[in-house]
Amino acid sequence: MADFVKVLLVCGIGLGLGLLASAYALSRSSPFDRVRLGPWVLAAHAGSTEADPYTRANLERSGEIPLAIGEGLQLIARVDDDGRPLDARCVYTVGPRVPTARYWTLSLIDLDGWPVDDPAERYGFRSSEILRAANGDFVITVAADAHPGDWLPIGRPGRFALALRLYDSPLGATAGAIDRTAVPLVTKVGCG
Amino acid sequence: MRGRFAVGEAAAYVAATAILAALVHLIVVLIVPLVATRDAFARLEPLGALNETILLPRAGPSATLMPYADPAVAMSFCRYDLTRGPIRITAPSGRAFASISFHTRPGLVFYALTDKAATHGVIDAVLATPEDIRALAAHDDEEDPSRDLRIAAPAPQGYVAMRVFSELPSLYPEAEAEAKRLTCKPEPVPP
Repeated sequence: MADFVKVLLVCGIGLGLGLLASAYALSRSSPFDRVRLGPWVLAAHAGSTEADPYTRANLERSGEIPLAIGEGLQLIARVDDDGRPLDARCVYTVGPRVPTARYWTLSLIDLDGWPVDDPAERYGFRSSEILRAANGDFVITVAADAHPGDWLPIGRPGRFALALRLYDSPLGATAGAIDRTAVPLVTKVGCG
Repeated sequence: MRGRFAVGEAAAYVAATAILAALVHLIVVLIVPLVATRDAFARLEPLGALNETILLPRAGPSATLMPYADPAVAMSFCRYDLTRGPIRITAPSGRAFASISFHTRPGLVFYALTDKAATHGVIDAVLATPEDIRALAAHDDEEDPSRDLRIAAPAPQGYVAMRVFSELPSLYPEAEAEAKRLTCKPEPVPP
């Protein structure tokens, strides 16, 4: 009888742990196949047929239409340069450069990839519409309150993420192809 | 003696639990793509018929169909089913970035073209099963073979997505109009 209970316990806990681990793994992006560039994370084989099972399962669940490597690259930052989670109470600057691409956009999203509502209806910036210094450098301020220059509003308290999309980039999604210094910095200026 | 036995037994149970948990996890991860009902194809299905070009709503807080979509990019798509024969995909290319990606049913990309591959301002390709591609090639004129770009699809069902970049917010409607000009038409295979 005692053995029966033990076996039952093993089955129950094993099943529970397995399901929990699966739920956890599928609620976030694949732990494999990721390239880290400072605060940015790049899913190397995001939507390609070479994607690992975790990436595939993730794609199925989200229903996202992934960017092909030939089209562009998508980099997501959920933390700042110091590795701390992006928080709506703080002010960040993003810049001054991005890797080579014909166009790029910087958008603010929530942790599930949806644009965040804000009264200014400014969900992102395009490379073709930002202010630049004479040498091509730029600064985009990410903050809840209005800032001069290019201001990307944070419409909701709590954590958020930044999506940098490079369109028609000659870079393959390999760690060696993108220089760490080429990705924009996500610098925390201060917290309110 | 008895204590050591109990420790060994406990270790065996813990190991069994861990192995079972790992197995369950593995099975779940591998099975999700097979049973997921909310894959991209399923989400796109209610929006329109096969081979019909549908414009996706602009990414924003109220558009909750596709996550990780870019608000600066207009997107359209058409679903295909190659068991009914090949389809020809054409799309105009404007002045900004435009691209076409070919996806399997679960959403994986197997091919992509950008506006750089356009000839005379049109991106043109034929999507077919490997068997149909062989049939098309067999009917090619030996002197003057077809110059179509023929893409072999790894699976008979899926969707084609088009992205058009808008350089400024005011140009978004123009990008949408361009994305709507994607066409996916059945291509006859010679008997």
